[in-house]
Amino acid sequence: MNEDEAYEYVKNTLKKELITPYHADELEIVKSVSCCINCGLCINHCPVVAAIGLDRFNGPRSIAVELSRSPPEYWSTADKIYLCTGCGTCREVCPKNVDIPEIVNLIRARIFEHRPDLVPKGFMLVKEIIAEHNLAFEPWVDREEKAESRDMRLERLGLPHIPDVVKKNAEVLFYPGCQAEERTQEVREAAKVILDLFAVDFTVLDEFSCCSLPSHLMGDEDSARNLAKQLKKKVKKLGVKKVVTTCAGCTSNLADLAERDNWGTPTYHLLEFLAEEIGFDRIKQALKEQTPSQSVHVSVHDPCHLIRHTSRRIMDYAMDILSLMPGVKVTESITHDSCCGGGGMVSYHSRDVADAVVKENLISLEETGAERLVTPCPLCTAQIESNLFKSGSSIEVDDLTVFLAQRFSKE
Amino acid sequence: MILESDLLVIGGGLAGLVAGTIATESGASTILLRKGQSATAFSSGAIDIIGYLPDAAESISDPLEGLTAIAGLYPLHPYGVVGYGDDVAPEEVVDAIIGRVRDTVVWLKNHLQGTIASVMGDFNTNIYPITILGTTKPTCLVQETMNPGDVNKHEESVLLFAGITGYPDFNPSAAAKTYLEDRMALGQPPHKIGHCMTQLMPFRKCFNISSIEIARHLDHAGSIETLAKQLEPHVKQIGATHVAIPPVLGFRHALKNKRELEKSIGAEVFELLGFPPSIPGLRLQRALEEVYTKAGGKMLVGHEATSYTKTGQKIKTVVARSPRREISIDTKAVVLATGKYIGGGIAGDEKGLRETVFDIMTVTADYHSAKDILPSKATNRLEISPMGQQLQWCGLSIDPQFRPIREDGLEWADNVFAAGAVLAGYNYSVEKSGLGVALTSGYSAAKSAIKCIKGGGEN
Repeated sequence: MNEDEAYEYVKNTLKKELITPYHADELEIVKSVSCCINCGLCINHCPVVAAIGLDRFNGPRSIAVELSRSPPEYWSTADKIYLCTGCGTCREVCPKNVDIPEIVNLIRARIFEHRPDLVPKGFMLVKEIIAEHNLAFEPWVDREEKAESRDMRLERLGLPHIPDVVKKNAEVLFYPGCQAEERTQEVREAAKVILDLFAVDFTVLDEFSCCSLPSHLMGDEDSARNLAKQLKKKVKKLGVKKVVTTCAGCTSNLADLAERDNWGTPTYHLLEFLAEEIGFDRIKQALKEQTPSQSVHVSVHDPCHLIRHTSRRIMDYAMDILSLMPGVKVTESITHDSCCGGGGMVSYHSRDVADAVVKENLISLEETGAERLVTPCPLCTAQIESNLFKSGSSIEVDDLTVFLAQRFSKE
Repeated sequence: MILESDLLVIGGGLAGLVAGTIATESGASTILLRKGQSATAFSSGAIDIIGYLPDAAESISDPLEGLTAIAGLYPLHPYGVVGYGDDVAPEEVVDAIIGRVRDTVVWLKNHLQGTIASVMGDFNTNIYPITILGTTKPTCLVQETMNPGDVNKHEESVLLFAGITGYPDFNPSAAAKTYLEDRMALGQPPHKIGHCMTQLMPFRKCFNISSIEIARHLDHAGSIETLAKQLEPHVKQIGATHVAIPPVLGFRHALKNKRELEKSIGAEVFELLGFPPSIPGLRLQRALEEVYTKAGGKMLVGHEATSYTKTGQKIKTVVARSPRREISIDTKAVVLATGKYIGGGIAGDEKGLRETVFDIMTVTADYHSAKDILPSKATNRLEISPMGQQLQWCGLSIDPQFRPIREDGLEWADNVFAAGAVLAGYNYSVEKSGLGVALTSGYSAAKSAIKCIKGGGEN
């Protein structure tokens, strides 16, 4: 047997031995584990540990230390690994920069490949939807009904409808993300209103497809890489210079992909785009031209995918923009940057865990006395809104994009 | 995106946060970068000034005595450096050091007043709080929740160690035994010590419970009454005047919980000093952050300094990276408070020891270059002497303004100041001086930085 044959032979035994070789782009993550000093600081900060206890979720340290050092028996972690919401708090407080949220995804990918029987059933449903539609949510069957729903939402919010334009070589591709594309259409429309107001040369995708984050989080790495490839092709074909999105998850995931796959096209959250590209002077000007709307007392929730996976600066921008809005009073809650529980696909199989995580947030939100919560992420919006509703609270929740659009476009 | 500030602090532990607060209070706009949490968040939450001299077996009874000895024996110790300021006459060196440390202790005590980590204690005397192992250690300030009161002074005092079933960090019977043996050897009170277990079930289980779960649980209304009810019969049974519990009395409401407990059981309650990372350490970290941001300081959490531009003898810009973005910060002065090996300010590998942000020269305990010191060769038994592990002494060498210096003895930059564990010349694990040095050097570096910012234009 020569060297090549031996290589092929070994490669063919991998599947049987439950081994998935690491991608070259995953090596950094794997290496980061060896830096773990086993201190346990992350446990004191993990919102899931705080919400359900160390006995049910053994915390980031165990994932970093024990789980990743026992390949290929990753399946033995299946009762814990799916409870991580992927908020990234552990990585942020870690003195050694251990990339625990990505280690979670790495392990989930290996369980998905070798022990699909242990993957939560809820994930398989999503996988099927993604496989069929390239979307994380079941799309509307009837296009007209979808438009009707959109118009109803716009009317309720008092927002104009800016028709979709698909064109090549625009400055910006506006990428709403699956949730705003299919479910909370008002977010998608609100962003278009804002982009239009500032005369941004933008386009949307001809045929929308998912950014791949849900597949990545489930561990369905093949679909994830496939979707990422598809989207890159579409972006390149359109010839845009930037991608702007209103979804926190898409922001961090597209930034990851752009670096990993050399897109050469940066992704911004709309807030960053407003602050850095439009500028505060033009925002001030635009606000001056509007008649001031009713005063409102809000509190803000920081999405993990923006602050901990991208940059905390983005929420500074949000606060700066809100501070320019006449009649908007902002009170910060002490848990403004604590995970809402909506991440990591946890709610697809363990709703009780996701809802336990958000509990502390609701308590401190009530303490602020705010009448409205705004957050620049459709997922956080949905998670907090449904839990506030269930708790009988009178606090309303708005996606920040919608909130801004309303203030920018009051007649 | 470019940010501008008068002062950039790199590092968000006690040294950095103190430096940032002082600068902000003096009117300088301040940005503080923090990558991860480090030694302050790990600490027991007690603030040591000086507990031992290196190589000495007996602890120091008060900081005054310790600092006087340091001024004589270790003039290049970060405490000692304070005495070499331009405005200090040779005969006033000791007074200058003591005065500065005293000032910083008062400053910290005042600033922590009313926070979740308010402290008690006094510069003039060391106190000996009890740890969860039943041992004691010398320290200067402890959080009010950790105040052992007169338990070791009053002849009639009776101490009860109370554990929590399923909480593995604390074994009350072992701690009681250790502490009692210690007190009996000294012939000092308390002469009667007991132990008991309580059951707190944050998630309806009494096994595998972590500190943070209990602390959060006790923060919730009603939980402290459950604990009080369980403690009461034990307190009555042995007639306890004091109850020692592990450091998990709460995160936000620990002090309130302590007072409520005391009222219901009729004995003084205090938290023991715990293993790192402890809840009091977490409280101290959070409280200092609140002090800094309330003073008007700006924090950039999750940002790591990655590169810089230096024009002549001055740092002009530092680039900071978050997971997916990069920003430049233009600044007039920098306080480097990046910590040592835990914080990441000093890193050691097969090539030697280096300072991680600016690559400034590192030195050993003898002030020789530590560039070629290999940590892998310093792991044998001989490396641990009464002077402590040699690597713990390594770090940056500084001038009297707390500016790190180069090989030729001149400062590395006119506007870079260093504070905290990144400094050489002291060994916090043998001296029990960690947070004290962080406090004093953070304070001193900030004062020098402010002078540099204000005098800015001309040089």
